[in-house]
Amino acid sequence: MNWKKFFFAFIAAFGFMFLFGFLWYAKLMHGAHQEVPILWRTEADFGNHFSSLVFGHVVMAFFLTLLYARFVPAGGAGVCAMLGILVALIYSGADLITFAVQPLTAKILCGWIAGHLIQFTIAGAMIGAIYKTDSRTTT
Amino acid sequence: MKRFILAFIAAYIFIFFWGWLLNGVFLKDVYAQTPNLWRPQSEMMSLFHWIVIGQALIVFAFVMIYASGFSGGGVMAGIGLGVLLEIAAIGMRLGFYAVQPFPGKLIFYGSASGLIEMIIVGAIVGAIYKPAPARTSG
Repeated sequence: MNWKKFFFAFIAAFGFMFLFGFLWYAKLMHGAHQEVPILWRTEADFGNHFSSLVFGHVVMAFFLTLLYARFVPAGGAGVCAMLGILVALIYSGADLITFAVQPLTAKILCGWIAGHLIQFTIAGAMIGAIYKTDSRTTT
Repeated sequence: MKRFILAFIAAYIFIFFWGWLLNGVFLKDVYAQTPNLWRPQSEMMSLFHWIVIGQALIVFAFVMIYASGFSGGGVMAGIGLGVLLEIAAIGMRLGFYAVQPFPGKLIFYGSASGLIEMIIVGAIVGAIYKPAPARTSG
């Protein structure tokens, strides 16, 4: 494994996932989330836990990059985007379970599922595109 | 295809009973500390089919990923895949912890049990699913 390329892929995945998460879940879905305010931390409390959000994204991006690198060592945006769709299905399954046990609205559920599909497909394509260069330079 | 279906069914049965044992029995008291975050029991039961579908989707995607890129490695490859996916999911869980007022121990127990769950799911899928032998011409 070329750790230099891995590092670039990880940074790109982290940057994209964090930015997308902010735009999609915090901005675009803000109104939908506010329909069930009891489920969320207050602004001040969220600020106290912000480091968990950042660290969670670092962990997620690192291990997803590792998964993509092991899954498709040769890289490739298309194949890794397909893997991204499958990973998104896992998270969507978890969303359905959450919907059954927490008082989420159908709008929130649909938004989360769509968000995961877009997020992991694009993240996969980015990682695969960066990792593709790796296989060309090392073989 | 037959082994794909067998792996899916075996992993699904495990994940269903593990989920029930963990969330319905062991962590019941922890969930009870934050009643505002959960639907009432009767409401959950009316939406139970979403739990069944959600678990099926998770297992289906897991077996698909394993069959597509990890199936040559057997049980160890299945466990490796389970560990990678679950640690990434722990990252997601930490994100939820930042925005929802879950007790910290619920995140800890959920993550630890999730890791055990995915290791066992990976072992089950790795033990059952075998790639189709390569066809030879002539």
